[in-house]
Amino acid sequence: MATQRAVRLRINGRDHDLTLDSRVTLLDALREYAGLPGSKKGCDQGQCGACTVHVGGQRVLGCLTLAMQAEGREITTIEGLAAPDGTLHAVQAAFVEHDAFQCGYCTPGQIMSAVACIHEGHAGSDDEIREYMSGNICRCGAYPHIVAAVRDAAARLGKGTSL
Amino acid sequence: MTSPLNPELKRRTLVQATMMTGAALTASGAAQAAAPAEANAVRQPVKHGAVGSSLSRADGAVKVKGTARYAIEQPLARMAYGVLVQSTIPAGRIRAIDTAATRASPGVLAVYTHESGFRINRPKRDLEGGAATEVFVPLQDNLVRWNGQHIAIVVAESFEQATEAAALVTVAYEASEALLHPTDSRAHPQPMDAIKAEWGDAAAAFASAPVKVEGVYTTPREYNVPMEPHACVAAWEGDRLTVWEPSQWVGGARQVISEWMGLDIEKVRVVSPYVGGGFGSKIAPHPHVSLACIAARELGRPVKVSLTRPQTFTGLGGRPRTHQRLALGATRDGQLVSIVHEGWNETAIDDTHVEPTNSVTTLMYATPNLSSRHSIIPVNTVNPSWLRAPGENPSTYALETAMDELAHTLGMDPVALRLKNWADQDPKAKIPWTTRQLREAYAAGAEAFGWSRRNPAPRSMREGRELIGWGMAAGTYPVWRQPGEAKIILHADGRVEVHSGGVDIGTGTYTILAQAAAEVLGVPVERVSVSLGDTDLPRAPVAGGSQLANILMGAVHTAAVATRTELLNLAASDPKSPLRSARVNDLVLENGQIRPSRRPTGGVAIADLLKAVERERLEVHRDTFPTGATEAQRNAGNRSFTLMQPATASGGSAHAWSAQFVEVRVDEDFGTVRVKRMVAAFDSGLVFNPKLARSQWIGGMIMGIGQALLEEGLIDPRDGRVVNANLADYAVAVNADVPEIQTISVGIPDLQATPRGGKAVGELGIVGVAAAISNAVFHATGKRIRDLPITIEKLVGA
Repeated sequence: MATQRAVRLRINGRDHDLTLDSRVTLLDALREYAGLPGSKKGCDQGQCGACTVHVGGQRVLGCLTLAMQAEGREITTIEGLAAPDGTLHAVQAAFVEHDAFQCGYCTPGQIMSAVACIHEGHAGSDDEIREYMSGNICRCGAYPHIVAAVRDAAARLGKGTSL
Repeated sequence: MTSPLNPELKRRTLVQATMMTGAALTASGAAQAAAPAEANAVRQPVKHGAVGSSLSRADGAVKVKGTARYAIEQPLARMAYGVLVQSTIPAGRIRAIDTAATRASPGVLAVYTHESGFRINRPKRDLEGGAATEVFVPLQDNLVRWNGQHIAIVVAESFEQATEAAALVTVAYEASEALLHPTDSRAHPQPMDAIKAEWGDAAAAFASAPVKVEGVYTTPREYNVPMEPHACVAAWEGDRLTVWEPSQWVGGARQVISEWMGLDIEKVRVVSPYVGGGFGSKIAPHPHVSLACIAARELGRPVKVSLTRPQTFTGLGGRPRTHQRLALGATRDGQLVSIVHEGWNETAIDDTHVEPTNSVTTLMYATPNLSSRHSIIPVNTVNPSWLRAPGENPSTYALETAMDELAHTLGMDPVALRLKNWADQDPKAKIPWTTRQLREAYAAGAEAFGWSRRNPAPRSMREGRELIGWGMAAGTYPVWRQPGEAKIILHADGRVEVHSGGVDIGTGTYTILAQAAAEVLGVPVERVSVSLGDTDLPRAPVAGGSQLANILMGAVHTAAVATRTELLNLAASDPKSPLRSARVNDLVLENGQIRPSRRPTGGVAIADLLKAVERERLEVHRDTFPTGATEAQRNAGNRSFTLMQPATASGGSAHAWSAQFVEVRVDEDFGTVRVKRMVAAFDSGLVFNPKLARSQWIGGMIMGIGQALLEEGLIDPRDGRVVNANLADYAVAVNADVPEIQTISVGIPDLQATPRGGKAVGELGIVGVAAAISNAVFHATGKRIRDLPITIEKLVGA
C-alpha cells in the first residue's frame, strides 16, 4: 500500500516541498508535481532516455528513479541548464545551431545526456559520442546533427567542464 | 473541368487516391491555379531569413530550454488521471469484467467498461468524407477484435493510483478462434480493384522475355513509435470541450471528436502547438481520446490519458505486414518488357487499411506491359495505419530490389539500368512529369558517393574481415495539394504575426512561414512570430503526405502580398499618412520601410505608419481557394481529405524524386551489418529552408536504416500478442547505428506542382532506403534477403 510523505527536492538550485505517494518517480515528481515538464516521458521504463536528468552531478533516468531517492541531492533538469539571465548553455546553443532535433521531444534528455557525456570525457571522437549518446533515442533521426552539436559544444567547453 | 470544390467524385479515382494516402480527392486541379505572381522571386539570391535560406529553427529556443508545452503538459486544476486496460486475447467476447477491487482501490474516481453504457458514435472514415483512420470505438460492446484492444479505463486522483487500480481489473473471456496471420488458409483476401493497373499483356511478355527476375518481398509490422506517446488532456467547460492532443491535424481531430461525442463541432477546440513526433500516427485521434472526453464529462474534471509505451503498439496501428510477388522481364540489353506484380497487406478484421504496394511499381519505369494487383487481408489486429510514405515505401522496396537483381543478372550497372528504363512521362497516367530531376539525382549522388569506383561483383570489396557492399536505389513521393488559408497581423509596436491552424510536427513550419512573411513584408524574420496548431486559428489541412509546407507557404505568401498592398494603399490614401501625397504605384515596401520607389531615403517604418494613421493593427486573412468558395467548402479542406488533389491534378504528374547510395560493412564471421555511409540526392523542388529540409531527409534515411536492419513487430502465433511492444525489444536506430550522411538538393522550383515550387520532403527521405541497404548487403555478401529486416540469422542462414 502506498504512503504519502512530505519530501523536499532540491531542483535547479531551489527547494520544492512536495507531498508524494512513495511510488512517484522522479520524472513524475518533476512533471506532475513540481511544474517542470521539460523532462519528457517517452517510455516510462528506462529504454528511451527522454527523461534524463542530473542527480548529484550524474545523468540518471528520471523514470527509473523514485523521487524519494533524490531527496537531499542536487537535481538538475533541462529548465535549470541555461544561465539565470536566459543565456543558453553551450550544448543548448549548439543543438539549435546544428538543428540537432525536429519534434523536440527527446531533446531535453539528449541535452542532459550530452552535457554529462562531455563532462565524463566521452566526447573525444565522433564514434565515442555516438556510443555514449546511444541511450537516448531520437525517432526524428537527428543523430548526425546531435553528434555535430556535442562535438562543437565539447570543443567550446573543454574537457572536464563542471556540470 | 469540374470545380474542385463542387466535385463530381469519380468513385474509381476517389478510391484510387485514397489508397495512396487515405485521401479522397477532387477530379480537377483548378484550385492550384492561384500561383502567386511573385513566385519567381525565389530565383533571386537568398537573403538572410528569406525563403530558401538556412535559418535556424524558430522553435529551437523553447525546445532546448524545455519550455515548449506538449499536449499533456497543460497545467490544469483538479486534473484526474486515466489509465487504460487492454484485452489479453485476440478474439472473442468479454464474459465478465470484475471491477470491484478496482473501485475499492484508493483514489479511484471511476471505472468505465462496455457495461457503463456510454455511447461513443462511430466516426466517419476518410473514404466517407470524414477524418477518422479507424471506425473502432471502445467500450461499445463486449467483442474482442484483437489482443491489446481497450476494454476499460480507470480514472483516479493520481497516475500511480490509476495504474495500481487498473491492474486489479479481472476479465473472464469467451475466446473464439482468431485469424492471426494473412497466410492462414481461412483468410479472405479482398482485391482492391480500384488500384489495379493493367496495360499490354504482362504475363505473355514476361513468359517470352529473354531475361527474367522474380521474387517475393515481404515487410513485417512496423511501428511509428514517436518519442511522445499518444496521450491527451480533455476538459469540459459547460458543453464546450477542449482537447490538448498531439495531432498532425487539429481540424481533423476536431471533426472526429465532435462525431464521437455527438457534439456540435463549434463546441470542440483542439490544441496542438507542439507534437513529439507523429510520422503518420497522429493524423487522426485514436480511440483512447474518446475515453478521455467521456471521463472528463462524467467527472466534471480535466482528465489526462496517456497510453503506456507498450499500449501504443495496440492502441493504434503501424504499417501492416506487406507481401509482394514481383517479376521483371527484360531484353538482353536491359530494356524492361514486362512488370508483373501482386501484393497484399493485412488489415483489421472489421476495418480497412490499404497500404498500396504498387504505387511506385506502376510509376517509376517505362514498360510496354504491366500488370499489378493489390489485396487486403483482414486478421485480428488493431487497424493498421499510415507510417512514413505509406505505399511508396514498401512498393519501392520491392521494385528497387528487383531492379538490382535484374542489373546483377544482366551484368549491368544499377544506375545504367535505371537510366535505360527512364520513363519520359508518367507511365500510368500517360501525362508529362511536371519536373523530374532524377537523372540529376543519380549523377550527383553517384559522383558524391564515388560510385564509379565500385567493383560490381558481389564479395569483391573487403577490408580485413569486413565485406564491403555498395548499393543504390531510387525513390519517389507524390505531390499532394489543396487550397489553404492564413492570417497576417501587423502591430503598431512593430510585431508581425502569422496565424494558421496547421501543425508543426518538427518539420519546420514555424520557421518557414516566418520566412515567407518576412520576405514579402521586408521585415527581419526574427520579428515575425508564428502561431500554429489550434482550431481557433485559420483552418488548415493535415500535416501529412508531405503537403502542408507547400499549402501554407502558398497561403502565407498570398496573405503577405495582400498585406503589402493594403499597407501601400493605406500609406498613399490615409489623410494622416506621412506618404499621403504619393501614388500607390510609386511606393515600395523594403526593409520594413515604405518609401517612394525613386527615393532611397525618406521611408516610413510599417509600425510608424500604423501609429500615424492611428491603427493598432492591420489584419489580413487570405487564402488560395478559388474565388467564391463557400464556408462549407473551406471547412471540407479543414475537416476531411476530400480536397486533397492527386499528383496528376495539374495536368502534369508531380512527384519528388531521390537517389540513395549506401555503403555497408558486413562482418564475415558474425553476419552483423553496419551502415558505413549514406549519400542521397533529392529533387524536392524548391527547398524553403535547406537546413531544416536536410533534417527531414536524414530523419527519413535513418528511419530507413531501422526498417532495413532492425524494425519488426513480433506477433505471438498463439494469441496475437505483440511480443516486443517496447523500445528495447522493438529496436529502432540509435546514434551508434548511424553513420555520416550526405544530402544533396537537385530540385528546381516546380510552379506547376505547387504555388511556391516546392515538392515533397519529409516522406521522401525514407523511400528507397531499405532497398539501397538490401542491395548493398547483396553486393557485400552475395546473399539476397527479400524479407525485412535483414537480420543476422537470415544472413547466416541464407
